[in-house]
Amino acid sequence: MPFSTQFAPTSQEVGSCIECGLCLPACPTFRITGLETASPRGRLTAMSAVLAGQAIDETFTEMMDGCLQCMACETVCPAFVPFGRAMEGAKAEIAVARNSMSIRIRRLILGRFLAWRAVVRLATAAAAVLQRTRMSVLIPKALRSGFRSLRPLPIWSSSRVGRTSKPLGEGRSRGTVGLMVGCVMDPWFGQVNDVATRLLNMAGYVVVTSAEQSCCGALAAHDGSAQDARRLAHRNASAFGAVDMVAVTSAGCGAHMKQYEHWTEGGDIFAAKVRDITELVADAIDKGWLPTVDRIAGPIAIQDPCHLRHAQRVVDEPRMILQAAGHEPIEIDSTGTCCGAAGVYSVLQPELSGRLGVQKAEQVRAAGPRIVASANPGCEMQLRQHLGEGYQIAHPIEFYADAIGIMERGHS
Amino acid sequence: MSSALAGELRSILGDDGVLDRQLELHVYGKDSGITRGEPSVVAFPESTEDVVAVVKAAKRHGVSVVARGSGTGLAGGAVPLEPSLILALTRMNEIEVVDVENRSAWVGPGVINLDLSNHTYSDGLHFAPDPSSQSVCTIGGNIANNAGGLHCLSEGNTVNHVLALEVVTADGDVIELGGPAPDPIGLDLRAVMVGSEGTLGIVTRALIKLTPNPTAARTLLMSFRSVEDAAKTVSDVIAAGVIPAALEMMDRLMTVAVERFIDAGFPTDAEAVLLAEVSGHEAAVEAEAEIIRAIADDNNAIEARVASDAKERQRMWLGRKSAFGAIAQMNPDYYLHDTVVPRTKLVEMMRNIYEIAERHQITMLNVFHAGDGNLHPLMSFDASEEGVIERVKAAADELLAICVALGGSLSGEHGIGLEKRDSMGLVFNEYDLDAQARISEAFDPDGSMNPNKVLPSGSRCFDFGRPIPEGTWV
Ligand SMILES: Cc1cc2nc3c(=O)[nH]c(=O)nc-3n(C[C@H](O)[C@H](O)[C@H](O)COP(=O)(O)OP(=O)(O)OC[C@H]3O[C@@H](n4cnc5c(N)ncnc54)[C@H](O)[C@@H]3O)c2cc1C
Ligand code: SF4
Ligand code: SF4
Repeated sequence: MPFSTQFAPTSQEVGSCIECGLCLPACPTFRITGLETASPRGRLTAMSAVLAGQAIDETFTEMMDGCLQCMACETVCPAFVPFGRAMEGAKAEIAVARNSMSIRIRRLILGRFLAWRAVVRLATAAAAVLQRTRMSVLIPKALRSGFRSLRPLPIWSSSRVGRTSKPLGEGRSRGTVGLMVGCVMDPWFGQVNDVATRLLNMAGYVVVTSAEQSCCGALAAHDGSAQDARRLAHRNASAFGAVDMVAVTSAGCGAHMKQYEHWTEGGDIFAAKVRDITELVADAIDKGWLPTVDRIAGPIAIQDPCHLRHAQRVVDEPRMILQAAGHEPIEIDSTGTCCGAAGVYSVLQPELSGRLGVQKAEQVRAAGPRIVASANPGCEMQLRQHLGEGYQIAHPIEFYADAIGIMERGHS
Repeated sequence: MSSALAGELRSILGDDGVLDRQLELHVYGKDSGITRGEPSVVAFPESTEDVVAVVKAAKRHGVSVVARGSGTGLAGGAVPLEPSLILALTRMNEIEVVDVENRSAWVGPGVINLDLSNHTYSDGLHFAPDPSSQSVCTIGGNIANNAGGLHCLSEGNTVNHVLALEVVTADGDVIELGGPAPDPIGLDLRAVMVGSEGTLGIVTRALIKLTPNPTAARTLLMSFRSVEDAAKTVSDVIAAGVIPAALEMMDRLMTVAVERFIDAGFPTDAEAVLLAEVSGHEAAVEAEAEIIRAIADDNNAIEARVASDAKERQRMWLGRKSAFGAIAQMNPDYYLHDTVVPRTKLVEMMRNIYEIAERHQITMLNVFHAGDGNLHPLMSFDASEEGVIERVKAAADELLAICVALGGSLSGEHGIGLEKRDSMGLVFNEYDLDAQARISEAFDPDGSMNPNKVLPSGSRCFDFGRPIPEGTWV
């Protein structure tokens, strides 16, 4: 079956590739395998073959499933091929054309369960109990290593949605920021959201965490559950209809929400309001709304999440935040290669994901510092898994909050 | 037939060393040029022994062998024309030994050009040929196409940077050509191999000559009201005895396109912009930059300035290197020419280019290695537009003919491959072509190495009498 849905890669998207190959060295899967079939150019060639009438077969599915959707190819592409969009389209097509049981289960989890807070909290509570009892053997094997690299989970997490907090101290409000708390971010990385709220308040913003918000839909979109992704995008766009800006603490969610134009009507207007939290905090530091620390603290290795660096092109902000906290940011990788976490990729393609994780860990070790800043939960877990004991990993704004004395760094 | 071959290849290379599903083959049917083919199998050797075994197996099955690096060739060199085996060399990417003292390194053919330079950078050395595709293309592909780059004006093309080659021949023998000495004894077959585009054998290892990193460099940006003034500046600079490391020209359409793409700081109102780089010792580069600036001023430059710091310098070169990308955005299709004319004929050639572009109503942009007269007229078009392909082809043929009439050549650095093969007769007479065909025949009597590339069929004067050995692929 050739492409059949409205989400399919278009001939315009695919045809904008001039086949120059400049994306090849940036692509982690090409780098590791040396296969044109595991490269952006090869994947686009395959899409155009299907556009020309070729069936969506097993080979096509494998080629697309191998993609990390890390967007490194978009960063270097001279023709600005919208690769990420085309790949989401290809995934949506695969989901329809190859409607296997495992795909259906995945769609149920990514498209539905993640959006149900009660389900996520229940799962979190269960995981928290297993963490405390060290019973990780009860976790399915594919998920076990991911489980072990979680931060300590709360057994009972009261969700942050539905709250409003006002600017701290004097001064008038600089506007209202809607905080996207995220589906798993909320219970698993709640501290990052708390710090974000504090910093935004300090900077003079009103922070609202609309009760209507839901999972951003990125994982659903990346996995081909296009209808679910649309539904979630629509819901979030209306939930945050009234705010001036939307702050996102997970780079993966932010990257997706900045692309809402593809997923919901009026999504472009919404997308223009979306900011990664590092953008807002760096801006506030720059404007003097948040303090800069004089004290010199130690160096911190900086890891760029693909969905921040490549998808959102946010590179300087996390570094600036660390500098404002008195830390010296240490580069680990000049091109920002994917760490292999890549959403559900680590579960679906454990082998390649693992190789990239090992590679990233080697880069961190070579850089020196045993403290790493990463602005994305998935990357944080991947780093923790591959770095092992003795490394401290947190979000850049957590290091900043620590330095200006508004929080304790309570985890490793 | 080929599935039996694929099975044999799997027993040699393992399952993940062979691809033969339809879509995979389709993906390996093309390079960065415009022609497409369809291989029958793709093999990924990891060692010279693998290559030998694969070449022998292909021979047994009567299947020809097409080497492939990163597939960034622009002339269709890596396109399989007949049922062929694609020998993908990307996994032979080991930098074996770097001999800092003798400034050389043994490398695998799949090493990426820029990876080698990055690897040796801290030793104060680099691989001088720097094609705009250097972040992607392989050393093997550079050797096969005798690639050049921004710095080939002062450093020469790849042929000047290869000391020795290990080659697997069509029979599966391993031979070594050249040696560590700059002037090898016996016939210099190393130089024959460089630029042979995979038609004489497979390069499996190369001893590369490394070049010391310059200690100081200056980049100048010069803009002119006319292409003539810019071209005159180029000639005057060389005549003054200054050989810049790089000397590049862009015309107005090109600078406008680049500026739309990234902010390189190029003036968009000048008819031509020159970028020059001088490198070497601090005192020398200072003096040379001054000479170039004075010459530009004498030639009515609107502006001639030296980049004030490393950042500005990088920005200028990034602008030049992004030219290709800038074009990529104008239209879905492009056709890039790669012709050479004597430097003294630059102005005349440019005039002809503009005339041809206008007559065929094609957007033509120019960015090129002015120092050595290597032009890259770029036609930007949308192939879905009716009749445009014909106009592009007609314009391309005219360009080549004029270039040859002006005493120029078909290819400066991108190779002949498939796309210029049939124009070889424009520059070579039957005896010239026969000589080349004899060399090719000596290495590859069955014509099984990248067949039908470079030399047009019938190159051999007495082609008709050639016996076709039993069992070989025709
Ligand atoms: C954006 C862009 C910019 C470019 N800029 C330049 C430039 O500035 N200068 C320039 O010279 N070229 C340029 N090129 C052309 C191209 O990059 C070069 O020709 C390069 O050398 C090709 O290398 P590759 O590894 O991609 O080879 P491929 O395209 O894979 O192969 C090229 C040829 O080499 C043969 N071959 C490959 N490996 C071997 C081997 N180990 N043994 C024997 N034969 C082999 C193939 O059969 C084929 O004929 C550019 C191309 C692009 C897309
Ligand atoms: S860099 Fe862009 S245009 Fe070039 S091959 Fe890759 S996707 Fe295509
Ligand atoms: S998104 Fe990442 S993995 Fe996928 S093709 Fe692009 S660079 Fe490769």
